[in-house]
Amino acid sequence: MSHLSEGALRRMFDDPNAVTGTEREHFASCTECQDRYAKSSADATEAARLLAVPAPKFDADAAYKRVTEAPTQGPRFGFRMPILRQSARRPIAVLAFAVVLAVIATASANVAQIFAPTQVKPVPVSVADLQSLPDLSTYGTFAWSKEPQPQIGVTAADAEQVAGFSAPKPGSLPSTVSKNITYAVVPQAVATFTFSAAKAQQAAAAQGKTLPAMPAGMDGSTLTLTVGPALIEIFGDLKQGSASDVSQLALPELIVAESKAPVVTSTGVSAAELEDYLLKQPGITPQLATDIKALGDPTHTLPIPVPVGYATSTNVTVQGVQGVALGDNTGAGAAVVWIKGNVYFVGGSLKQSEIVSIANGLT
Amino acid sequence: MGTNLGAASERSRPALNSEQDSFEALFKAEYNRVAGIANRVLGDTQEAEDVAQEVFIDFHRLHSAKAQYAAAWLYRASAHTALNRVRGRRRREKREHAAAHDEAGQALDPQHVAEANDERRRLRAALARLPQKPAAVLVLRSSGLSYAEVAEAVGVSTGQIGTLLRRAESALRKEVNLESPE
Repeated sequence: MSHLSEGALRRMFDDPNAVTGTEREHFASCTECQDRYAKSSADATEAARLLAVPAPKFDADAAYKRVTEAPTQGPRFGFRMPILRQSARRPIAVLAFAVVLAVIATASANVAQIFAPTQVKPVPVSVADLQSLPDLSTYGTFAWSKEPQPQIGVTAADAEQVAGFSAPKPGSLPSTVSKNITYAVVPQAVATFTFSAAKAQQAAAAQGKTLPAMPAGMDGSTLTLTVGPALIEIFGDLKQGSASDVSQLALPELIVAESKAPVVTSTGVSAAELEDYLLKQPGITPQLATDIKALGDPTHTLPIPVPVGYATSTNVTVQGVQGVALGDNTGAGAAVVWIKGNVYFVGGSLKQSEIVSIANGLT
Repeated sequence: MGTNLGAASERSRPALNSEQDSFEALFKAEYNRVAGIANRVLGDTQEAEDVAQEVFIDFHRLHSAKAQYAAAWLYRASAHTALNRVRGRRRREKREHAAAHDEAGQALDPQHVAEANDERRRLRAALARLPQKPAAVLVLRSSGLSYAEVAEAVGVSTGQIGTLLRRAESALRKEVNLESPE
């Protein structure tokens, strides 16, 4: 037989019984393998000596107490964006901008006593639009009254229990999509935003800008945003993620998500007043203001921002309702969003036609 | 799709509590091993505990404690975080230098202390120069993980561990000798 592999010889050092009878017989009569084993053993012994440390004494109970009693950080959105390969960064950056704009556009267009979107519509936004958007945090105080607490890697049953609805089940999937599904769930989260005219004027003055006067009743009024619960299915192998090696994470092949539609309530300002006020702010381009106003019926419309030059949007019929399909111009990925009671999202590194087909096959 | 299972707020509470309980059980079951892995690299129990706690917090933020891969994830993250700490850092070197002086003042054999510190420094420098995966395999195996546990943590087959270990040990010896004053 052929000589023993380096791996087999190394394993033999740890466990002489790890090799087969044939290998053992060969080893007994092969001086070359014996020499290689001697070198391997010497290296292993030296490495063990170098890596030896005095037996440490750790107190897990005390450590747990330290971790759980540490002061909590300020409000955070729960997810930490992984450091992605260079090629993946631009679309993700655009997506992040789009999410921010979605929140702003949703607030500007849809705040009413109760906001309950039943349809989605695309809003084209340029990079200039995104860069010049006003910082809404300077207009008041934002606080989570119930922070989002995402749980990743839960069982489907646990995810369904927390979400309060059953997980969407895709029909047939392209062969390139892994059958390995990681379930994540985000329980319902509630945030409040309290307007402050003084804070807004102070922030604007610091930048040499003048703001339009807040409409009567807006100063001190509170918006309450309720999002989720949301259930997310990530297809692909996420097992290799680690705290320190996130650059090795690959983008998931497919993500299917379902969420209760967001709800916004207001204590002192109407949807029309808020829309008018926000669209007059410095930084909102006339084109963006026109596009948002053109959505019509703001109470029931969830605007989907589409970054001009980076993504294209198409109106499609999904599950019998109108949805917005987004396709990256580079062909790197596609997504579709629609509302049918809840808000649904299907996206991944697939063709737009495949994504729409998966969306239509959900049960 | 979208079948209502009832009020989420009422039902989610037991699941969240149970998640916290699971995390506590996971923490207490794996803490010593996770901190031990970091200590193997860092040779500093206090810093190893910092790493272990950081790793558990990161895990808790993003994953369920009930996930089957929880232990493997923690082991790998501990090895990688500790290895990242020894890469390109100077703070530790300064502290050790000071500690060596202190120890030299008190110990019976100052020369021995200085030599031991120098060897630890060379070991960490060598580990820092090894590629991430073989270095992690070496650290995890020397921390007492079985071949199967190491394989699961770094995401390779058990059959590859012997080869990875062999290469890592050979490379480590060469790297340490490169740093040797002789």
